[in-house]
Amino acid sequence: MARGWLRRLAVLAGIGLIACGAAPEEARFPSGPIQIVSWATPGGPSDLLARALAEAAPDHFDGQRVTVMTRQGGAGAAGMQYLRGRAGDPHVLGVFTASGTVNMATGRIPFAPGDFTPILRIQVDPFLVAVRDDSPFHTLENLFETARMRPGAVSMSGFGAASAHFLGFQRLRAAAGAPDIRWIAYAGSGDAVVAALGGHTDAVHTNYNIVREHLRAGTMRVLAVALPLTALRDTPVYRDAGYDLAPVHWRGVVGPPGLSPEVRADLRDRLLATIRAAGFQEYMARASMEYAVMDDSDAFGHWIAEEVETSRALLGRLGLLVNE
Amino acid sequence: MTGFAEGLATALEPANLAALLGGSLLGVFAGAVPGLSSTVGLALVLPVTFALEPTPALLMMISIYMAAEYGGSITAIAIGVPGSSPALATTFDGYAMTRRGEAGRAFGISLFASMSGGILGTLLLVVALGPLSRAAIAFGPPEYFGLGVFGLAIVANLVGRDPLRGIISALIGLVAFLVGLDVLTGAPRLTLGSTMLMDGLGLVPMLIGFFAIAEALNGLAGHRAEVEGTAGMRGALPALRDLFRLWRPVLRGSAIGGIIGAIPGAGATIASIVAWNEERRVSGAPERFGTGEPAGIAAPEAANNACVGAAMIPLLALGIPGSASAAVLLGGLTVQGVAPGPLLMTEQASLVYALYAGFIVAVVFMLAVGRLGIPLWVRVVSLRPQILMPLVVAVSLIGAFVLRGNLADAWFALFFGMVGFLMLRRGYPLAPAVLGLILGPMVETNYRRALALSSGSHTVFLESPISLVLIGLAVISFAAPALRSRLRLGRGGA
Repeated sequence: MARGWLRRLAVLAGIGLIACGAAPEEARFPSGPIQIVSWATPGGPSDLLARALAEAAPDHFDGQRVTVMTRQGGAGAAGMQYLRGRAGDPHVLGVFTASGTVNMATGRIPFAPGDFTPILRIQVDPFLVAVRDDSPFHTLENLFETARMRPGAVSMSGFGAASAHFLGFQRLRAAAGAPDIRWIAYAGSGDAVVAALGGHTDAVHTNYNIVREHLRAGTMRVLAVALPLTALRDTPVYRDAGYDLAPVHWRGVVGPPGLSPEVRADLRDRLLATIRAAGFQEYMARASMEYAVMDDSDAFGHWIAEEVETSRALLGRLGLLVNE
Repeated sequence: MTGFAEGLATALEPANLAALLGGSLLGVFAGAVPGLSSTVGLALVLPVTFALEPTPALLMMISIYMAAEYGGSITAIAIGVPGSSPALATTFDGYAMTRRGEAGRAFGISLFASMSGGILGTLLLVVALGPLSRAAIAFGPPEYFGLGVFGLAIVANLVGRDPLRGIISALIGLVAFLVGLDVLTGAPRLTLGSTMLMDGLGLVPMLIGFFAIAEALNGLAGHRAEVEGTAGMRGALPALRDLFRLWRPVLRGSAIGGIIGAIPGAGATIASIVAWNEERRVSGAPERFGTGEPAGIAAPEAANNACVGAAMIPLLALGIPGSASAAVLLGGLTVQGVAPGPLLMTEQASLVYALYAGFIVAVVFMLAVGRLGIPLWVRVVSLRPQILMPLVVAVSLIGAFVLRGNLADAWFALFFGMVGFLMLRRGYPLAPAVLGLILGPMVETNYRRALALSSGSHTVFLESPISLVLIGLAVISFAAPALRSRLRLGRGGA
């Protein structure tokens, strides 16, 4: 009895396999559940983006189940390896961010932009410099001026070493004539904010959503932000302050390698519909994120490649490339 | 007070009660399974909370967090494997009591202490949210360094009869922590060119390897200590009088948990080990600790549950997650549109009161789940080790994988299992290595941060009163066992 049941199952599975093999993948997508690989910290901004996508996506992927698959480790390498290994399968997607490009640029992880199929960029999260409310610094120039006069006297806390946050600040510092400012690295953005809030460092280089509540409460101030944000209407933008650059953190979606242009366009359209859904818009507002959609997949691919190159050049100048 | 009454009414609404009960069940499970922890439990329900209203979502998450801190003690007492890292200190006396045939008593003490710690931690949160959050941010690099050194000095009390072996074990832990990307420069250290080693070897694989795999191997080699006593004795619960006699260790443990828990990044594991050590120090009979002393369960279990309420202090008042679990909680709150920070109490007072009341209800559910579960935990103890340990190893390895979805963690656990087995066979204690792995990063990164901020001047560690006191205590704590034995020797000779 049991064996008969098993045999029937095996036959069915065989038919299924043949059917899959016979029909080209593009013919019917999605033909199964969708996985979004997340290699970021659980509960962090990139992980939340993956989960918000998974929440809103089923309606735009023909009702298929969309799940977030956690693959942490190796500075993102574990997740990237999984995604790269699913070449040609549009059912596996990954949230890709500025951190990924920096990790590629350092040579820490054996991946290159060409290992993935760029689909679209969703968010841009500009960097900013914030200080405690009683700080003597009122403008970015104040801070840089003090650093020029007293080299090494000014400290800046921020997330990570040789990270997207670190490089964002190094670009700003270079634009200010590279005054000597100590970067005090923390393992989390929240910890870096605490350091500035506790007066242990003079300022923090981070993103808006991390300091939002302290700005509203008046316990911290933003000296300047890389790009204009609706919530920071009265805050000077780097460009107005005389620094002609806009370092940002950003997040988007990539697929495994080897997706045809048709499949990629289909994925792009479905994801565009997903991020326009009411539920997703609500997440964006709650997480204080602003849309900066780049839906031309080729342009997004160029953006990623360019970020890797810019980061690599900067890391080289700072002597921070990992020897391969 | 009316705010609290309204909060309680909210927490007692059917949907919220259901969320609290579900969270408690899941929390005890996540806490008890080695490899899973409150962080994993919270991450697993994160997608579920998206579909809930903010209040039940929040209540479900806090009850998981609370119950998991208790759950960790179940495996710690039953089989000597900490279900999650904050239960490490509970293994010292809890498992010793089980081997003596007093598992039921140990389970009862742990549940009572967890409940008391949970309530006291919540009271601390309610009473001292503002002042403690301001105190927490005063903790800068020199203070964290002091705390780390203070913690490391506890090694002196974990080494048993052979200090040299204890110190070597701690050094093994310190070398293990060095593996990975240097937090301050991003440069890989001891990674042997492997990407999988870049995020370090990890605490969970070490706990699983040392306490589940190494012990199982030791059992196979016929060296595992047998559980004594009759089945009847194992199930005997402690008398109420027995519990109330432990009010001092519970209070001390809760106070330590409450203070250390409120410092972002310090956490329940450090708090519970410090609580165990302090209890041992003040007991007047330190040699009894580690051999099945009830106070040695009560203090760390009160401490790790007190940490839950305390961890909410930086989270609610500053929007800063003080632990990995609090970070997942913050993610859940963000999605719900709840923004913790200085304005939370004025803008969302009703939610905060519901959270306070929810903690108390969560403790009640934890108590109920724990009390109903004790007969079951006791039955686990009576399973033959030859059957039990392979099961534990299998479940632990799955737990190690689930943590980050990374098979490398299971390999690391096996590696630590081999290392731990060799250490056990050669008479090296394992706990100092765990302490080294936990505290190494705190000591090293904050030492370097402090020097970077002070332009290389070491006086920075002595200028901060908190750091000065902690380092002073560390010196005393490290030197005390040696001094004591010298005194005793002197007396013996006279």
